[in-house]
Amino acid sequence: MTARQEDSIAPEVPVTPPSRPGLGYQARHAGSRYAVLGVWALLIVIYTIAKPGVFLTRSSFESIFNGQYALVFMAMALLCTIIVGEFVDLSVPSVFGFAATILPVLVVNHHWGIWPAAIVAIIGALACGVINGLLVVVAGVNTIVVTLGMGTLLTGVALWMSSLNTVVLPVGRFSKIAIFPVGGLYVSFFYGVLLALAFAYVLAFTPLGRHMRFVGASREVSRLSGVRVNRIRFGSFMAASALSGIGAVVTVAALGSYNATTSDSYLLPVFASVFLGTAVIQPGRFNPIGTWIGIYFLTTGITGLEELGLQTWVSDVFYGGVLVVAVTIATLLRRRTV
Amino acid sequence: MTPVETDGTGTSVTHQRLQVADLSKTFGPARVLRGVHLSIAPGELHGLVGQNGCGKSTLVKILTGVYTPDPGGSIAVDGRLLRTPVQPAEQRSAGVSVVHQNLGLVDDYTIWENVRLGRYHARGPFRKIDRRAERDAAAQVLGRLGRDIDVGQLAGALSAEDRATVAIARAVQSHRPGGGLIIFDESTRALGQAARSRFFEIVRSLITAGASVLLISHQLEEIVEVTDRVSVLRDGEVVETGLTTRDVDEAALTRLMLGRHLVTHGRVDSHAKDEVAASIRSLSAGQVRGLDLDVRRGEIVGLTGLMGSGFEDVAEVAGGARRAGAGQLTVGGRRIDLGGRRASTEGFVQAGVGYVPERRLAEGLAAEMTVAENLTLPRIRSRGRRLAAGRAWQAEETAAMIAKLDIRPPSPSAPVGTLSGGNQQKVVLGKWLAGRPDLLVLREPTQAVDVGARHDIIVAIRDAARDGCGVLIASIDAADLAVLCDRVLVFRDGQVIAELAGDLDQDAIIHATFGVTPPGHQVPQEREAG
Repeated sequence: MTARQEDSIAPEVPVTPPSRPGLGYQARHAGSRYAVLGVWALLIVIYTIAKPGVFLTRSSFESIFNGQYALVFMAMALLCTIIVGEFVDLSVPSVFGFAATILPVLVVNHHWGIWPAAIVAIIGALACGVINGLLVVVAGVNTIVVTLGMGTLLTGVALWMSSLNTVVLPVGRFSKIAIFPVGGLYVSFFYGVLLALAFAYVLAFTPLGRHMRFVGASREVSRLSGVRVNRIRFGSFMAASALSGIGAVVTVAALGSYNATTSDSYLLPVFASVFLGTAVIQPGRFNPIGTWIGIYFLTTGITGLEELGLQTWVSDVFYGGVLVVAVTIATLLRRRTV
Repeated sequence: MTPVETDGTGTSVTHQRLQVADLSKTFGPARVLRGVHLSIAPGELHGLVGQNGCGKSTLVKILTGVYTPDPGGSIAVDGRLLRTPVQPAEQRSAGVSVVHQNLGLVDDYTIWENVRLGRYHARGPFRKIDRRAERDAAAQVLGRLGRDIDVGQLAGALSAEDRATVAIARAVQSHRPGGGLIIFDESTRALGQAARSRFFEIVRSLITAGASVLLISHQLEEIVEVTDRVSVLRDGEVVETGLTTRDVDEAALTRLMLGRHLVTHGRVDSHAKDEVAASIRSLSAGQVRGLDLDVRRGEIVGLTGLMGSGFEDVAEVAGGARRAGAGQLTVGGRRIDLGGRRASTEGFVQAGVGYVPERRLAEGLAAEMTVAENLTLPRIRSRGRRLAAGRAWQAEETAAMIAKLDIRPPSPSAPVGTLSGGNQQKVVLGKWLAGRPDLLVLREPTQAVDVGARHDIIVAIRDAARDGCGVLIASIDAADLAVLCDRVLVFRDGQVIAELAGDLDQDAIIHATFGVTPPGHQVPQEREAG
């Protein structure tokens, strides 16, 4: 029995702030948060020394930062469902490819206006999200099975719609929504920045974000705390497909065409970026800013290796290797925090 | 019955089937078993009791090789020391086997496949399972237990009685005649009365043949009725070992399980007012049928009974954790259909119901989220704005609950998973108290928490009642109920068999629960069910 007064009311003690962690702890903590940024800087230094006058140039910079809009939209789409504990939505690149095929096919083959076609492409992507949500959340089918099946099905439909060809849009002002220059970079780069920041804000500061993270952490705890778990899960599939659809429209505007056979090639980079993101900023947690950094870290790595003369196979090796390393780091960090 | 030879401390020197000495187990900072001693004689039925979290499961997991004990302890079977961690082959050759809580049967497999699982003999160039030999082996061991069942049937199609028999058959098949130790880890929990009788018939026949049994059970009635001796674990320590069962009753065992130090809280005056805080009408859930219950503002109502008697159902349904068959709950002027489908407990939260579940880490808290995030979760939407959850109220609420409940460490940003069990329980309670509920429903609120945490939790519950909250506590802990409650409803088979009020004492609650009246006690006020 404690020596406290038997029936005293709650102790009126002030909340003492936690003791200040030591320097060693702070250094380790900062190390785990910013290690990837350090490695990123190191890569740039190594490539610059190895290829003086080639790597640290404006053209390299533009190729790294101007070309990743599709990846940013898809990675954020994957994050939507991963945050709420759906492990893992394999259909993201296919939903993206499906929408990116609908747009030029409607314009070129069916003579639609470009904006109505863009809207239909996004609606098409949303419909995929509804189907994923119905099957996973309402019917309770395994996420991997549903999204693997849906992904394969959608890639097949996109190939059928495009007759296995690259469908090219007529040149027009539509491309400006993606490649309008702002401060030396395409506007689509800033879409990605805004998207990552907005997503990070929602997760950190809004009730919706808090609910999403709790649903991801424990559905039962969330349900018993008054959170509408299935609505959040369903909404995440919808948001993921909407982001894939919008990303597809931006991509088609930037490229002026789309080839449905390229959709699958996004799968590994998207997963590698999202998992690498768990080793940045918020160690052990999936987070949008970390994912955004992961995307450009990976692109820097591959761009440098290609400029060093390595063949295109290097991207597979790099993405695959980083995915394995990132997942291992994420698992270890997660184990340490709980 | 084989006589038990002891050295006077309950630890026998020779002729023991199982001899556990000085066994400890530490997980990180937590020492969950401390110097455990236990001895079981050949042909003895030995009971092991203790509260949830007292270390019973850890002990079984060490005996079966799942966990490695801390250095220094020893486990001997029939005088032969086992290496630790205990190896499956050595465990089997020593004749130690376990029947788990759910009996461990795979419903989609046949009886012989279940019985012989892990022992299949393969033969021929293609290493094919010798079905005929396996079926014969399974039938033979079932025959030894006096049960002639078609071993080709699926386990899922069996009666509860036969399922138990099959599980026992699997456990004893490798025992040499007259030897072996079977550990029943809450195995009787899922059995009905008839199946239980048959189960103990088989157990007795095994004991007569020389086997030893360690029976772990929450059903104290059963322990007192069937075992020869009993050991009691509390907070990882053996507080009594080798107690002759005929010398104790359930009340004495309960006191040993809970510890006398837990009953030192005195009762305080009731805060109950006339106004009704919550009313339950025509509730049907599990075994409970047509229950009406009013909880007044400031009143603390206890619900208790044997496990499975229905008191847990009432709490789970009133807290919104699951659907009832039928019934209404009225709280804060809102009527909630307890039998209706719902996606979450949102309606309960809005009506002012707080629910502290039994399994805090599975149902109460998200371990990876912080103390502040867990504390504020139920109100993040109602108190926050759509685009900004708001920091000030979260910080204020968190600081208030950390101070009120003395949560340690007092760090709002600490992940809840890093806190001790007692502090986690305080966070679950604080999560609801911060919302000033009209009805607070708690299940086993002080289960597996330390003495200091228990004190803080009891004080906080009383404070909530004093502030006008109606409180429903579902618990098997008579000590908690005695110090906290204004009245206690005792359930059996879904019916309220007794309502105790006034100056409660835990013996009266225990005896009402087990259906016996202690000498010198008043007969509790009996009332009609419903």
